[in-house]
Amino acid sequence: MFDLLPHILNGLTLGLLFALIALGFMLIVGLMEQINLAHGSLFALGAYLAMQLTGPRPPFPAEIAKAWLALPLGWRYAATLIIAPAAVGVVGIAIEFCMRRTYGKDPLYGLLLTFGAAMVIEEAIRLIWGTRDYVLQVPQAVSGGFLFQDLIWSTYRFYAAGISAVIIGLVWLLIEKTPFGATVKAGAHDSEIVRALGINLTRLRLLVFVLGTMLAAVAGIIVAPIWGIRPHMGVDAVIPAFLVIVLGGVGSFWGAVVAGLLVGLCVGLSGAYASEWSLLSMYLLLVAVVSVRARGLWGKKSVLEA
Amino acid sequence: MTASPSPSSDAARLVTPAMLVLWVVLATVPLWIARVGLYPYLGIEILIWSLYALAFNLVLGTAGLPSFGHGAYFGIGAYAFGLCQFNLAANLWACLAASLVIAALAGALVALFISHRRGIYYAFMTIAFGQIFWTVAIKSHSITGGEDGLLKIVRLPAGFGVISFDLTDNVALYYFVLIVFALALMGMWRLVHSPYGRVVAAIRQSETRASHLGYHVWLYKASIFTLSAAVSGLAGGLFAMAQLAAFPDVMSLHQSGYVVMMTLVGGGLVSFWGPVVGVFLFLIARDVIGALTNAWMLYFGLLFMAIVLFRPEGIAGAAAAAFQKKSLGSIRRQGSSAMRLLFGGERWR
Repeated sequence: MFDLLPHILNGLTLGLLFALIALGFMLIVGLMEQINLAHGSLFALGAYLAMQLTGPRPPFPAEIAKAWLALPLGWRYAATLIIAPAAVGVVGIAIEFCMRRTYGKDPLYGLLLTFGAAMVIEEAIRLIWGTRDYVLQVPQAVSGGFLFQDLIWSTYRFYAAGISAVIIGLVWLLIEKTPFGATVKAGAHDSEIVRALGINLTRLRLLVFVLGTMLAAVAGIIVAPIWGIRPHMGVDAVIPAFLVIVLGGVGSFWGAVVAGLLVGLCVGLSGAYASEWSLLSMYLLLVAVVSVRARGLWGKKSVLEA
Repeated sequence: MTASPSPSSDAARLVTPAMLVLWVVLATVPLWIARVGLYPYLGIEILIWSLYALAFNLVLGTAGLPSFGHGAYFGIGAYAFGLCQFNLAANLWACLAASLVIAALAGALVALFISHRRGIYYAFMTIAFGQIFWTVAIKSHSITGGEDGLLKIVRLPAGFGVISFDLTDNVALYYFVLIVFALALMGMWRLVHSPYGRVVAAIRQSETRASHLGYHVWLYKASIFTLSAAVSGLAGGLFAMAQLAAFPDVMSLHQSGYVVMMTLVGGGLVSFWGPVVGVFLFLIARDVIGALTNAWMLYFGLLFMAIVLFRPEGIAGAAAAAFQKKSLGSIRRQGSSAMRLLFGGERWR
C-alpha cells in the first residue's frame, strides 16, 4: 500500500492542476452557459507570453527591457503572473465582442465561434513562435527537488498544486461571497430581472468572460513548466477541462473541483501501472460515470442539454 | 431538404435533377481540373470528404445530435481497409465491406452508451469515445503502426467477375470513388426522405413529442448514429486507398472538428447539400489559400468566425434563400431553430 503513496500524491497534485485548468472554462459555462473552446488556445497563449516575458528577449522597448532584465527572476516571474493574463484578457475582450452577437441564439453558435477563434490563435502562435518546444523558467525557490521518504519529489509540482488550490479558493470566494458574484449568478439565473434592476449585464458578462480567459492564461503559466510549451498544448488542456466539467456536472463548482481531483488520481494511478495508457483512463472514467449519472456527478439542469 | 417544412417534390425520387447535374459536373472534373491549376487527387479528396460529411450530417443535421468525435469512424474505416487487405483478403469489395462493418460495429458500441444522453453530455460522450479510439490507434503500435500510420496500403483493382479495373491511376480511382459516392448519395437521400428519416427528423424537433407518439426514440437515435458511422467508415476505407496509408490524425479532435466545420459552413442544418458545399469550400480554400500562405488555418479560421457571426445558416442556406425567393430571415430562423434544438431552449430573451 505504501508504494502507492507517491502515485496518489502525484495524482492529487495533477488533479489540482486539472481543476485549475478547468476553472476558467467552468466560470464561463456555469455563469454564461457558453462553451469557450478557445480556452485551450488562451491557455497556450498565456504560457507563450510568460515564456517570452521571463526569457532573454522581453517584448518591451529597449530601455524598459534593460531595466526588466536587471530584475531578479523571482520578481519577473511574479510580474509575469499578472502581465501575461492581462494581455490574454485583452484577447478575451476581442472574443467576447464577437460572441456578444450570439447571446440571443443557441450556445452552439458560441461553441463554433470559439472553435474558429481557437484555430486562429493556435495558428498565430505557430506563426510567431514556430513549432519548436520551449521551456518556461521558474525562480530558484520553486524549482529543483527535495528528498522525502527516500524519494525525490519535484518542488515545482507542490508549488503548482498549492497555488492552484489558492486560486480555486479565491475564485470560490469571489463567486460565493462578494456582491459581484451574487450579481453575476443572478444574471445567469434571470437576466431580465437583473437588467430591470438597472445592472449593466453586458459589462458584467464581459467581465466574467475576461476573468475566465485570464484564468486560462494563469493555468497555462502554472502548468507550462510541467507539460512544456508547444503549439499542441492548447488541445491537451481544453479536452481535460471539458472532461472535468462534464464529469463534475455543468454548473457545479465543487463538482468540477472533485472531478479534477478524480481525473488526476485516475491518471496518476493508471500511470503507475500502464503509463502508455494513462490518458485513456480519464475517458473511461467519464464514460463510466456519465453512463450511470446523466448529468455527471452534481450537474444541474441547464440549457446545454436539450 | 432535411429541415424543409414542406417536402419538396423531389423527396420521393431516387435520383433527383440536382443529383444528375452534380454527377455530370463531377464526371467532367478530370477533364479540366489540371487546367485550372488543381490536380485530380484533390477531386478524390473532395468526393471522399463529401461522402463523410454527408454521413456525418445524418447525425448532426437530420437527427440533431451533436457528435464531435466522428473522425473515429472515418479512421476506423481506414484502418479496417488496410488490416483486411494485409490479414484477411486482398479483395477490394471485401476490404470496403470490412471498413463499413467494423465502423458500424464501433458506432453501434458507442451508440449503446450515448443514445440516452442529450445536448452537451451527448456531445462530450462522443468526444470521449473519439479520444478513446484515437488513443488506442496511436498506442497500438503492433496493429496500427502507431503515429507512423499503417503504410503500404495498395489500391486494389475493382473486379467484376470477368473484367477488372485497375485503380492505381488517380483518374481511374476518381471515377470509382464517384460511383461509390453516387450510390451512397442516392441511399442517403432516400434514407432521409423515408418514413424512418421522417421519424428521425421528428426526434430532432422534439424527443419528448416523438416518444409520446409511440416511437422508440432510443432505437432511432442509436440506429442513425450506427448508420452514419458505417458510411463514414466506408469513406475512411476509400481514403486509405487514396492515401495508400491510414494515419491516426484523421481521428484526432481537430479533424473531427473540421467535418463539423465543413458541414455547418456549407449549411448542413438547413439543406441536404450543405455538407457537400462545405467540403468543396474547405478543401479548395485549403489549397488556394495554402498556396499563398503557410498560415491558411488562420485565414480560414477568421472566415469561419465571420460565417458563424453573419451567415449562420451557411452557404447552402443563403443560396436556397436566393433561389426559392424566400427571405434570408426565414431560412436563418430555420437554421437557428435547428441549432437551438441541438442544444436546448431559448435564453437571454
